[in-house]
Amino acid sequence: MDPIEFFSNHIFRMVFFGTTVIGIVSGALGAFAYLRKQSLISDVIGHAALPGALLAFLTAVVIFGVNGRNMLLLIVGAVITGTLAALFANVVAARTKIAIDTAMAISLTTFFGLGMLLLRIVANNPFPGKGGIQDYLFGNAASITRADLTTSVVVGAFALTVMLVFWKEFTLRTFDPVLSTMLGFRARVIDTLMFATIVIAIVIGVKAVGFVLMVAFVVTPPAAARQWTNTLPAMVILSAFFGGLGSGLGAYLSISMGNVPTGPVIVLVLFAIFLISLLASPKRSIVVTALRRVEARKALKREFNTEGAPR
Amino acid sequence: MSYVTGVMLLAVVTALACALPGVFVVLRKNSMIVDGIAHAVLPGIIVGFALTGDLDSPFLILGAAFAGLLVVLGNEWLADTGLLAGDAPQGLIFPALFAGGIILVSIDMEHVHLDTNAVLIGDLNLAAFPAILWDGVNIGPEYLYVMLAVLGINAAFIALFYQKLKLTTFDRQFATVLGTRSRLLNTAFMFLVSMTVVAAFKAVGAILVISLLVVPAATAQVISKRLFVMIALTVLFAVAGAIAGFWIAYVLNTGTSAAMAVFYGVLFVGVVLIDKLITRIRRNRRHDANEGDTQTRPKLVSSSPVR
Repeated sequence: MDPIEFFSNHIFRMVFFGTTVIGIVSGALGAFAYLRKQSLISDVIGHAALPGALLAFLTAVVIFGVNGRNMLLLIVGAVITGTLAALFANVVAARTKIAIDTAMAISLTTFFGLGMLLLRIVANNPFPGKGGIQDYLFGNAASITRADLTTSVVVGAFALTVMLVFWKEFTLRTFDPVLSTMLGFRARVIDTLMFATIVIAIVIGVKAVGFVLMVAFVVTPPAAARQWTNTLPAMVILSAFFGGLGSGLGAYLSISMGNVPTGPVIVLVLFAIFLISLLASPKRSIVVTALRRVEARKALKREFNTEGAPR
Repeated sequence: MSYVTGVMLLAVVTALACALPGVFVVLRKNSMIVDGIAHAVLPGIIVGFALTGDLDSPFLILGAAFAGLLVVLGNEWLADTGLLAGDAPQGLIFPALFAGGIILVSIDMEHVHLDTNAVLIGDLNLAAFPAILWDGVNIGPEYLYVMLAVLGINAAFIALFYQKLKLTTFDRQFATVLGTRSRLLNTAFMFLVSMTVVAAFKAVGAILVISLLVVPAATAQVISKRLFVMIALTVLFAVAGAIAGFWIAYVLNTGTSAAMAVFYGVLFVGVVLIDKLITRIRRNRRHDANEGDTQTRPKLVSSSPVR
C-alpha cells in the first residue's frame, strides 16, 4: 500500500498517529525506568492495569449508568490499579524476605487473575457497551477514534511535561539517590511522580496495543537508545524517537499486510530496532567491539614484527 | 469418576506439578524469568499444535519447552554482553516471542482452536475432556494423567538432585568449587520449569501459570526457616488454593485458574499480615520482659539471583 493511499484513510491515520504518540511517550519515560534498573516493573503495571480498566467500566455502567468505554475513565482506573500493583511489589520486597522479582511476579499474576475474573463477569452479564472489551488484552488499533487520539495526546503531553519540569530531580534521583536525599529532595515524592508518569505512559497504550504487550514499549526503545549514546538528554530523545519510529512503522506494516494485529507487529519492529542497535551501533555494539579487537590484535602483531617479540 | 471430581483433581495435580519446582524458582530469584518463559512458549505451542494437532502430545510439550529455554539462554546471553542495565535483559526477548505467538494465533491458524482468552488463562473445564474409559469405567480425564506424569518427573528430578539444587541455590560458588556443574544443572532445571509451563498451559494459560508456580512457594518462604519445611508448606498451600479456587470459580461461574490466582494472592497477603502480627506480639512481649535487643530471624534466602 503506498503512503498516499494510507494517509488518505481516516482509520489508518488514526491508527498511525495514535500508536506513534504511544511510542513516543512510553519511549521517553521508559528511559528513566531503564536507568533506574526497574524495567520489568512495567510488565507488572501493564498486567495490573486490566482490573482497573474493567472496574472503571463496571463503576461507570452499574453505578452511574453512563458509557463505560470512555478513554479517560479507563486511564484513571488503570492508573490506580497499576500504581497499586507497583507499590505492592515494592512494599512486599522491602518489608518481607521475599525478593523483588518474586514480589513482582506475585503482584502481576494476582492483579491479572482479578482482571480475568472481572472480564468473565462482564462477559456473563448483559452490560451495555461491553462489546469488544477483550480488546483491553491485545488492543485493537482500528478502534482508536479522534477523541481517543486527543485524550492520548493530552495525557501523554501531561506526563512528558511532568518529566521536563522535574528533569533535574529525576536525573539526580536516578544517578545519585544518596546525594538527592542529602540535598533535601523527598525520595518518596520523586519516586511516586516518576512511576506515576511511567504508569501513564503504559496505560495510554491500552486501546491500541493492549495491556499485555505494553512492556515492550517501555523496555525496548531505551535499551536500543542506550547503545548509541552516553548522555541522558540524548538517550531520552533517541528512545522517544525509536518508540515513535517503531510504532509508526509497525502500524503501517500491519495495515499493509492486512489481517494482522497492530500491537504485536509493533513489538517485533521495536525488537528489530533493538537488535540492530545491539549488533551494530558505532560505539559499543557487538560487531564494532569484535572489529576493534581484530584491529588491536593486528596492531600488536605488527609491533612484534617490527620490534621483535619480547623474550 | 464424575466430571466435577475429575476437574477438581486436575486442578490439584496441576497446582502441585507447578508448585514443586516453584520452590526453587523463588529461592533462586528466577520468578520473573518464569514470567518470560510463560509468555515465550506461546509460539512454540502454536507451531507444535499446528504440527501435531494435539495439545497433550509429548512432542509438543518438549518442543515448546525449548522455546521457553530460548528465553532463559537468550536472557543470559544479553546479560553477558554487558551492554544492558538492570533487569532489562529479562524484558526484551519474551515480548517479541509472545507477539510472534499472538500473530500466529490471529492469522492463518484459524483451524487452530485457540482464542486469545484461552491463551492467557486456559480453561480447566475444557481441559478435562476427554475422559478415559477403562473397562467401561470412567477413570478421569486424559489430561489428568499428563499432568500426573509431569508431577512425577518434577518430583523425581527434585528428589534426585535435591542436595545439588540446594547447594547451588544457597551458595553457588561453593557448589562450583565442590565440582557441581551449576550452569548445566540450572539449564536442566529451567528446561523442567519450561516443560511444566507448557504442560499446564492448556489448563491455566500463559500468565496465570506464574501464579501457580511462584505464589505458593513465596507464601511458604515467608514463614519457613528450613528448606524441607518450605517444600511441605508449599505443597499444602498449593492444594488448598487449588480446591478453594475451584469452588470459588464453581460458585461465581468464572474461570478456575483466575480464581486460583486471586485466592493464592489473598492467601499470600494473609500469611504475610499474620506473620507480621505474630512478630510484633512476640517483640512486644520480649520488650515487656526487658530482654533487651530483638533477635532477627534467620532468612531463607540466597544472596543473589542464580543463573
